[in-house]
Amino acid sequence: MVPLLFGIIFVTFMLVRIGGQDAVGMLAGPMADEAQIAEIRRSLGLDRPIIEQFVAYMGNLVQGDLGNSWQSHSTVAEEILSRLPASLELLILAILVGTTVGIPIGLYAAYNPNRLFDQITRFGSLVGFSIPTYWFALVASFVFFFVLRWAAAPMGRIGMDVFPPPEITGSYLVDALVTGRWDAALSAAHRLMLPVIVFAIIVSAPIIKQTRAIALEAMGSDYIRYARACGYGPGLVRRIAMRASLVPVVTFIGAEVATMLLAVSLIELIFAWGGLGQWGLNAILFGDFAAVQGYVLVLASFSAFVFLLVDLLVLVLEPRARLRQ
Amino acid sequence: MSSETLAQPLGGRIQWLRRPRGIARRSPTFAAGLIIILVYGFVALFAPVLTPFDAINAFPYHVLESPNGRFLLGTDGNGMDVLSRVMYGTRYAFGIAIPAVILMVAIGVPLGLIAGYKGGILDEVLLRILDVMRSFPAIILALAVVAATGQTLVNVVVVLGLVEAPIFARVVRAEVLALRSGGYVEAAVAAGNPVRRLLFVHIMPNAISGATAQIPLRMAWAVRASATLAFLGVGIQAPAPEWGAMIRQGAEFLISGQWWVALFPGVALVGIVLGFNLVGDGLHDLLDPKSKTASK
Repeated sequence: MVPLLFGIIFVTFMLVRIGGQDAVGMLAGPMADEAQIAEIRRSLGLDRPIIEQFVAYMGNLVQGDLGNSWQSHSTVAEEILSRLPASLELLILAILVGTTVGIPIGLYAAYNPNRLFDQITRFGSLVGFSIPTYWFALVASFVFFFVLRWAAAPMGRIGMDVFPPPEITGSYLVDALVTGRWDAALSAAHRLMLPVIVFAIIVSAPIIKQTRAIALEAMGSDYIRYARACGYGPGLVRRIAMRASLVPVVTFIGAEVATMLLAVSLIELIFAWGGLGQWGLNAILFGDFAAVQGYVLVLASFSAFVFLLVDLLVLVLEPRARLRQ
Repeated sequence: MSSETLAQPLGGRIQWLRRPRGIARRSPTFAAGLIIILVYGFVALFAPVLTPFDAINAFPYHVLESPNGRFLLGTDGNGMDVLSRVMYGTRYAFGIAIPAVILMVAIGVPLGLIAGYKGGILDEVLLRILDVMRSFPAIILALAVVAATGQTLVNVVVVLGLVEAPIFARVVRAEVLALRSGGYVEAAVAAGNPVRRLLFVHIMPNAISGATAQIPLRMAWAVRASATLAFLGVGIQAPAPEWGAMIRQGAEFLISGQWWVALFPGVALVGIVLGFNLVGDGLHDLLDPKSKTASK
């Protein structure tokens, strides 16, 4: 895990710097002359050899110092910690909704292959698979906010007329519920609704597709044929197939984490969520090196955490994996 | 498994690949996707003849007109015809995706062959790269590189191609590992074939069916990715008629109710990506006789 993280840090460190395009021009402003720009570069340490910069960065990193953001002048670690809860709130809710809806749909489609429901599911999941996240979010917010007025404005996590709840976890919804601020909870839930639904649809499309394929393969397997031959009823046969499909489905959802991290960033951008993803994308576009580095680090660590979680979950679900230990 | 049984399905495949009706019957998914892609390809080839206006021809007196008889899909903020721009957008989609995927194949397939056959350092490095790709969205990487290295069309193509090349390497590598100890490979080695000939003449034809099925899926990815980059303001810039750049422009007008500027490029994008994904799914069914996703 550590070599992997190190590799990711090294590669992104080099990649964002090779172009020679950085935020210094923007930081200095349009009136700055050559000497001033050179001075800023020196003060930021950008005039030193790139390897030296990397060693210095790594030295700070192992001490927990992620550097300073050039855009906000606060430390990257602070920025990340203050924004992480907003992203996690969105991510966790969407994955929960997406899987609890997606897995049963995929299973049901596989139990009744080539029936109408299955055909609709297959086509629907393929369309969902093909929709660009940002465009879907834009269209959804246009239809459900600007036209129908069902959803809240795509502008942040809580209504502007509502005082945010005291910060405990950083998630407005959780904090408001814990402290009994019902008005804030309602407003936060209202704001969460559309981005979570949009995100859950994006998340569920590949899950439905894959669950269907996995369960269909299980239904055609020898052990299911054997179970049928033993005279088991359709309910029991399906249960056996479902149990066998669970492990590959969980593994697949874990492998989708990279896709989900991109989707959450784009959705945050459209809904002005103010989370980590939106911040990271802006850092990349602005050329805010330390912030980009921090963003990348968080993404990679989060993925690593998810893979670990999946491994543990598989251990729970799969008796064979436990035997092998 | 003897070499005969390995060679058999390939011969069978090629026979029915020549018959369009057979393909349509075996995989309607593939046929439907192919038709969609052919329509987009037709529009891309003949865009100057088919479009009512030029893509960057501005009508200053017709800014942000809703869809009407003259401008069928309306006009954008510069007074340019949305329909013509959406149609010209197909050229950017194919123009980026085709070279990007060619690059992916050109790098990924030899890499997978060598890594799978020889193992060693190259294989180790490839596996590590694949680990990184598993944990990190490729588009974010592409975004960072294109934003840093200058926003030209060539950069977008090269970066997209490089970022996804390991996927082809992985697919080919897995098949090579399975084939490596096959009888016909051993026979080829015993006959004194040099490694290069062994890999590209003997192993490759049997190891690329998985990679072939990946091609349309990677095309879909490349079209999507380039549009995402343009939407974020990196890569192709407006007023070039690129779908992502058009959605970016149109997003501003959604607030004031002019939905047509952002909607139609997105619809076109969904269509072509869906087409490639259908082809990919269908191809997977066709090339893999064990697959149960085919509707039979």
